[in-house]
Amino acid sequence: MKPLIALVQGDAAGIGPEVMGKLLSIDEVRSSARILILSDIRVFRAGNEVAALDTPVHVIDDIEGMDFEGDRPNLLHIPAIDPAQTPSGKVSIEAGAAVMRWFGEALDLAAAGKVSGICFMPFNKQAMHRAGLGAEDELQWAKQRLGSHSRASEFNVIDGMWNARVTSHIPLREVADRLTTPEIMEAVGLANGTLIRAGIERPRIAVAALNPHAGEGGTIGDEEIEIIEPAVAKAKAQRIDVSGPYPSDTLYPRLRDGAFDCVVSMYHDQGQIAIKLLGFDRGVTVLGGLPVPITTPAHGTAYDIAGKNRAAVEPARRAFMTVCEMARRA
Amino acid sequence: MRPPVLTLGEPAGIGPDIALAAASKGIPFVAFADLEMLGERAKILGIDITLRPIDEDALPCSDDITPKELPVVPIPIARLPKLGIPDAANSPYVLECIDKAVRACHRGHAGALVTAPVHKGIINDAGIAFSGHTEWIARLDGVARPVMMLCNDRLRVALATTHLPLRAVPDAIDEAMLVEILRVLEGDLRKRFGIEAPRILVCGLNPHAGEGGHLGREDIESIQPAIDRMVMEGLSVEGPIPADTAFTPARLVGADAVLAMFHDQGLPVLKHGGFGETVNITLGLGFVRTSVDHGTAFDLAGSGKADPSSLIRALEMARRMAPH
Repeated sequence: MKPLIALVQGDAAGIGPEVMGKLLSIDEVRSSARILILSDIRVFRAGNEVAALDTPVHVIDDIEGMDFEGDRPNLLHIPAIDPAQTPSGKVSIEAGAAVMRWFGEALDLAAAGKVSGICFMPFNKQAMHRAGLGAEDELQWAKQRLGSHSRASEFNVIDGMWNARVTSHIPLREVADRLTTPEIMEAVGLANGTLIRAGIERPRIAVAALNPHAGEGGTIGDEEIEIIEPAVAKAKAQRIDVSGPYPSDTLYPRLRDGAFDCVVSMYHDQGQIAIKLLGFDRGVTVLGGLPVPITTPAHGTAYDIAGKNRAAVEPARRAFMTVCEMARRA
Repeated sequence: MRPPVLTLGEPAGIGPDIALAAASKGIPFVAFADLEMLGERAKILGIDITLRPIDEDALPCSDDITPKELPVVPIPIARLPKLGIPDAANSPYVLECIDKAVRACHRGHAGALVTAPVHKGIINDAGIAFSGHTEWIARLDGVARPVMMLCNDRLRVALATTHLPLRAVPDAIDEAMLVEILRVLEGDLRKRFGIEAPRILVCGLNPHAGEGGHLGREDIESIQPAIDRMVMEGLSVEGPIPADTAFTPARLVGADAVLAMFHDQGLPVLKHGGFGETVNITLGLGFVRTSVDHGTAFDLAGSGKADPSSLIRALEMARRMAPH
């Protein structure tokens, strides 16, 4: 049977609703999964209106009422926000609170084993923080709500190029002290598992160095020798196709040229500088290491073009197809 | 026009090879080197070229250097090198070439200095404290703060710190040094690149440029005050910009250079490709200095496989930037 995927409505003031409308008009999308939309029906309709589309959905108040006839999606109506009262293109606490209702419901369904993957339209972090998110970001929030304690990580995926990070939102001066061999091994293991789940049979993983020129044999820092190389060796012993550490200035061009499937970077900007150059906005964000796979288009709410029917659907389509792929391999 | 002068670096490496290859392609420059060593290497490589000894105070004009001819200021080597095997006995020679070439720049005979790679380890093995090419030249030039800048057809990136372990970077950065670096960068963009009012973007140090201090305080405490001082002096300096957005095409529009806080913040962008090949320039000296972006490649010395294209670009850049 096709996987049941929760498709979560995005920030009502952004491009999410119109992108969802476009997404559901794609035959391949509707036929790849049983789709359970979590949204306020009014927001869903407003999005369709902007996109000048009208994909039929089966509206329900309770998931017991799910009825998948043909490839018709079901929409679980969770009243949370009236789009008529929500100015488009502005940070709004109400919109932040609404996505937390919808996303929260999706996570609860996942925790109960009722859906096997989640794909969400763009959220606005500021709106969520103002609405009382109380966590660093949606990944941490999801982790808490799912009651998950294992390592979870955000992956950036652009045209089959994956990037993961060992450390993320911490001051640069703390990075070197936070790196440990087990931490890096875990990150490599998670990358390997996540890519396999996404359909890459034997992922080729490259580990980035920390220091310039990968430390140049210990003369420009010794973390490569003391911490990273042992992690790579141990991960290799677990039969993972992993290599490194590679100097970061030449590593990403090799990722781009297809020498690897995934880079595990040591710190935020190491990966993000490259990812932005490779075309971040075209990409997909995958939250790996949670009980269910979660994906979203990498771009944001794009308030400047919201409501104008100019938003591209391709990143959302890729995000949706990726979560289906991952859910099938669960 | 005054010619660029070239030092060949470590004689057991590919420095002599790429110099001969560049000269035989008709790129005009003057070499500071041992004549016999260079003649022998030309023979090994099968490069047909006339080595013309000249006086260090009588360098020819660029236009008078003909293809198939290389003017050489002769400097005697201690021992003819074995290919690929550096010899500490030749370290004083390597440095003498640099010293004399710098002198030619100081005396106004040369238009610019171009350097082929040296081997740091072997110079130190000779008992000479040598921390790096750039530092050595800056000391000769009496400069306290040389600034490394990499540049290609589309982008110029200067570095606030260069070959430091990442953990040492935050402590190496302070307001005073950033002010000095920004002054050097701004001054040389005007003087050497002819940009009237250079616009400089400055990267933050921490993720999201510290996000208001939540992800590190250096952006607020060191970088921002340095930028504010430059702006107060009427310069066009912007930042701190999160490094992952500073290099996006939209952000780079109208910018003449980006100051990165550390090596791997700036260099990956230049190597991303589509930007043309990169030349390394030392700013803040009394003269123009460019260098190749590779090492001594001992395994390739004398093989004819060494690629001279980085040297050729460095020579061309030196010629373009040199005072006329």
